[in-house]
Amino acid sequence: MARCLLVDDDSEIRVSLGDYLQRFGMSVLCVSNGAQMRRAVKSERFDVVILDVMLPDDNGFDLCRWLRQEHQTPIIMLTAQGDPISRVVGLEIGADDYVGKPFEPRELVARINAVLRRAPAGDAERRDQPRNVKFEGWSLDRMQRLLVSPSQVVVALSNAEFRLLIAFVDHPGRVLSRDQLVDFTVTPGVEVNHRSVDLAVSRLRQKLGDSPREPSLIRTVRGEGYLFDAKVNA
Amino acid sequence: MKRLWRDTLFKRLFILMWVALVASHLLAYNIVTRFVLDSASRPQGGFRGSLLLPSLPPTPGVPGGPMVGEGLGAKGPAEPGMPPGMSQPPGLNQHPPPGVDDDTPPDAGPPQFELPTGALLLDYGVRFFIIGLAAWWGARWVSAPMRRLATASRTLTRSIGSHEPPPHLDESNGTVEVRDAAHVFNEMGRELDEQFRGRGLLVAALSHDLRTPLTRMRMRLESIESDAAQRCIADVREMDELIDSSLALFRGVGHAEAAQRVDVLALAQSLCDDLAEQGHAVSASGHEASVAEAQPMALRRVLSNLISNALRYGERADVTVLREPQSVTVIVDDAGPGIAPAQMERVFQPFFRGEGSRNRATGGAGLGLYIARDLIRRQGGTLALANRPEGGLRATVTLPAQR
Repeated sequence: MARCLLVDDDSEIRVSLGDYLQRFGMSVLCVSNGAQMRRAVKSERFDVVILDVMLPDDNGFDLCRWLRQEHQTPIIMLTAQGDPISRVVGLEIGADDYVGKPFEPRELVARINAVLRRAPAGDAERRDQPRNVKFEGWSLDRMQRLLVSPSQVVVALSNAEFRLLIAFVDHPGRVLSRDQLVDFTVTPGVEVNHRSVDLAVSRLRQKLGDSPREPSLIRTVRGEGYLFDAKVNA
Repeated sequence: MKRLWRDTLFKRLFILMWVALVASHLLAYNIVTRFVLDSASRPQGGFRGSLLLPSLPPTPGVPGGPMVGEGLGAKGPAEPGMPPGMSQPPGLNQHPPPGVDDDTPPDAGPPQFELPTGALLLDYGVRFFIIGLAAWWGARWVSAPMRRLATASRTLTRSIGSHEPPPHLDESNGTVEVRDAAHVFNEMGRELDEQFRGRGLLVAALSHDLRTPLTRMRMRLESIESDAAQRCIADVREMDELIDSSLALFRGVGHAEAAQRVDVLALAQSLCDDLAEQGHAVSASGHEASVAEAQPMALRRVLSNLISNALRYGERADVTVLREPQSVTVIVDDAGPGIAPAQMERVFQPFFRGEGSRNRATGGAGLGLYIARDLIRRQGGTLALANRPEGGLRATVTLPAQR
């Protein structure tokens, strides 16, 4: 059973969200401010912390930074200031996900599950990865989801293409099967399967200027899967 | 007493004009008398060395002066020592062109003195020069502060709502009027800036305080199973969208973002792919390597808004990206009813929504197009709407390839 720590200053949200999460088999401890959160984290181990950004006694960003230094517990930030800049700030200081209020309860559950799924599989390693990576003249900013070509043109990626590219740059020079790619790119609310992976690969090749006939960046390994054939630098 | 000595523009100009006129007369008269006529001959002793007081302009024949040009223009000697200006009443003086003097019938009036052409030109030249100098100087007093004010006003328009400080005019230099105007302008800039910031903070605070009860409401709705609850959930979502666009409006989206070269087709495709993933009817096509210089996040917001408008009001969105030598054009077509021509311009006004669009199915805050046009203008581009002859609405965004 996943142990959740919910930090929010609004009592009704605490109660209703706590009840809701328990319906999905989570055990939830609700606290209303930063001081209580620090105490709770010191005395107990949690699988995930759901943290409101605006708290009466503390700033959620500061709490997130503090928690990141002390523990590896995954953090999901909840915020009523859901603008792109605070999202980037939140992810930059080590939050694992960022959900704007008002949220779809089901989506929050899906995101908690996604974070929990990633956590045992060496989440610390994942988090230590640099924000910006470079390969073959391309540079990718994970936080801002910004891909810049060797000729300094911003090339936008769809969500599916972005998740796929992240999977590739995290595993360069390794053959990844379609099943693995589905696992790496699965996300709440979207169906990911072999077909959608193939489609995303062909679109990603197009955006990376990789020839579909003889791809050199994302190579097809017959019968096995795909290989990202590039040197990835921080 | 102090008020009397205030440095007003009125006083400055008044004194300048007055001094310039008097000085030009004096100077012209004296220069002509001393340096031109003097060299020809001089009356016996006379007023050499003392200041000559001229008559009113133009300088008449020099009274008591020498017979210029050996009697060429002399109609009769004036009494030596006669004070200047006394030899003839002003206004009667004539300046016949040189050479015709001889044909002039003898005048019965007071004796006339004619200036040689050189002296006449010098006389006029000195006057023109001094009055011109004074006029130039005075005009600068008037125009320079006006120019500064105009420049500052332009900067103010730009800085309001962005994160730049409002422009500041120098309040310590210039005439009272200029300093007053600078002071009032600075006050106004500060006031506007504060107001705008205040409004932004208010909207941010309101948004935060509205989203908390919306979150509560959304959680409560989760425990109710009914059609009404579903409709309430849609309302919550709609209110959240309104909050989001209000925030974008007042925080000034895209003010801080740097312009970069953006692959517009890739952007359109990625937006459409994401929407297609959610089952919407969208398509994107066009010229490859359609690169425009723009703020990536701002452009993303605009295209995303146009595409979701097309889906909301026109069931589908077909995006075409065209590369032209100097620009990139993005066309978003839908299959909806279009917009009545009379409303075509009004849809860009904030909080305006088209006839019959205030219902559940087509909600929306009415801020999207207003923000979109603002953002596109900031990219140096244009956003236009038109009804397609084959039906549906066409939104056209034109972006400069380079800025």
